[in-house]
Amino acid sequence: MQAKPRLLTILDIVCVVLMIIATGMVFLYAPEEAVMGNVQRVFYFHVSSAWVGMLSFLVAAVAGIAFLRTARMKWDVVGLASVEIGMVFSFIAVIMGSIWARPIWNTWWTWDPRLTTVTIMLLIYAAYLMLRAGIDDPNRRARFGAVYAIIGVLSVPLTFFSARLFRTIHPVVIGTNQPGSEGAFDMTPRMLQTFMFSLFVFTLLYADLLWHRVRLGELANKVEQLKMKVMG
Amino acid sequence: MLFQTAPAATTSYMIAGYVVIFGGLALYLISLVVRRNNLKQDLEILAEEQGTNDATDQKS
Repeated sequence: MQAKPRLLTILDIVCVVLMIIATGMVFLYAPEEAVMGNVQRVFYFHVSSAWVGMLSFLVAAVAGIAFLRTARMKWDVVGLASVEIGMVFSFIAVIMGSIWARPIWNTWWTWDPRLTTVTIMLLIYAAYLMLRAGIDDPNRRARFGAVYAIIGVLSVPLTFFSARLFRTIHPVVIGTNQPGSEGAFDMTPRMLQTFMFSLFVFTLLYADLLWHRVRLGELANKVEQLKMKVMG
Repeated sequence: MLFQTAPAATTSYMIAGYVVIFGGLALYLISLVVRRNNLKQDLEILAEEQGTNDATDQKS
């Protein structure tokens, strides 16, 4: 088994330090929003989590294309790792959004276009994991997974643009809000700095987690190959 | 919120939100560590078994 690379250890430490700074900025540097109060602070990590979720699914699609072109199992490991991380962050974003919605929209959940499309996206990738779990042959599993990830990524732009294209109460950060959006606010410079910094930290955290998860996937493949050798 | 003079009292929701993000991340990290340890154990057992199989093959 390969020893943990020094660069990965450095990345771990950098991520922890930056995460502490980002949390400090959210609670101590960014001002309290005048109407919504402290719950607005959920926004910084909610959007960052959603961003990492979408980025993960995009990376999984790119890994899928790379696998189909090269047939190298490493790309399959990257694809699976990315989808798993994407699921975790997207789910966290949905739960955080629901908590924010309770005092602002006066409901935990509503079948708004953004919330509906994000649910569809989550279900699509849950099905990706189930599909993989149902195929024993590693090559077939990788091929099916790659094709599925490429098709599944269509749900990402649909989710991203749903708040811009359809009539929705979900506020948008970049672009113009729909007339009926509830909970939109103008960011002060400090809010914007905290938001941009959070996005940066979460992107770095994604890279760190992806690296760890890819190493885990490679170890799992090694165990699977050895198991087949011993059994056969 | 038309005649609101002070920000809404929503601190408990903010705390709940941050419990979700940090709790979720902690759970995921724990799952990575547990799975890694399990795979390491499996690898050791399989390597041992393979060594025993190889020795048996050489004898026969």
